[in-house]
Amino acid sequence: MLMVRAIIRPEKKEEVLAELSRAGFHATTVVDVVGRGKQKGIKISGIIYDEIPKALLMMAIRDEDKEDMVRLILKYARTSEQGAYGDGKIFISPIDEVYTISSGIPSL
Amino acid sequence: MKEIIAVVRMNKTGVTKKALVEAGVAGFTAFKVEGRGKLVTNPSLILERKKELLLMAGEDQTGEAEKLITDFLVGTTLFPRRLFTILAHDEEVATIVDAIIQANKTCNNVGDGKIFILPIVDAVRVRTGETGEAAV
Repeated sequence: MLMVRAIIRPEKKEEVLAELSRAGFHATTVVDVVGRGKQKGIKISGIIYDEIPKALLMMAIRDEDKEDMVRLILKYARTSEQGAYGDGKIFISPIDEVYTISSGIPSL
Repeated sequence: MKEIIAVVRMNKTGVTKKALVEAGVAGFTAFKVEGRGKLVTNPSLILERKKELLLMAGEDQTGEAEKLITDFLVGTTLFPRRLFTILAHDEEVATIVDAIIQANKTCNNVGDGKIFILPIVDAVRVRTGETGEAAV
């Protein structure tokens, strides 16, 4: 199993979640976060903004769903065909174990 | 070293904290998140929740409350939850997971949350600069 953490634009959150749900990836955890990326924030008329609001989506998925998940996020979180600075990042890390609390069953 | 990520009900924060102390781990980071689980395939589970919520709504002639509740339950609503992250030694993981499950189980059958266990490559204690297992 894998943990996918995607940092995306907050205005793209609804669309990405809807498309993920449509593709069968319904389960998700969403956090509002602030952060900056490689461009060191944005500079507007001399003022640097480096705590840019973003949405962090966390999803636990099976290994074989990774490609689909990444493709969907890349497709729907981009602001244009070629993408733009600030569209976000996707991090993928391994999960050793998963437990569902209501049943205690060790699976997704 | 493992990182335990547990998503639990908001009103279970207190008992979860207590359970963690009893399991021997006092340290954790927690924050508010929103989320949804997998779609519920068994309609009778939703029906029970609906009945409960309708009782809470009280007298309702217009059917407005029922409509709201139905939308809430079958829609793509994101529900508020508390997310705990706990750093633990490998051998403690089973005890902690057990404690969290015991504290958070309800008879609702859905929505009690998930626990994820991720490997951690290294940790550093800022105060002393200790690394690895000693920093946990």
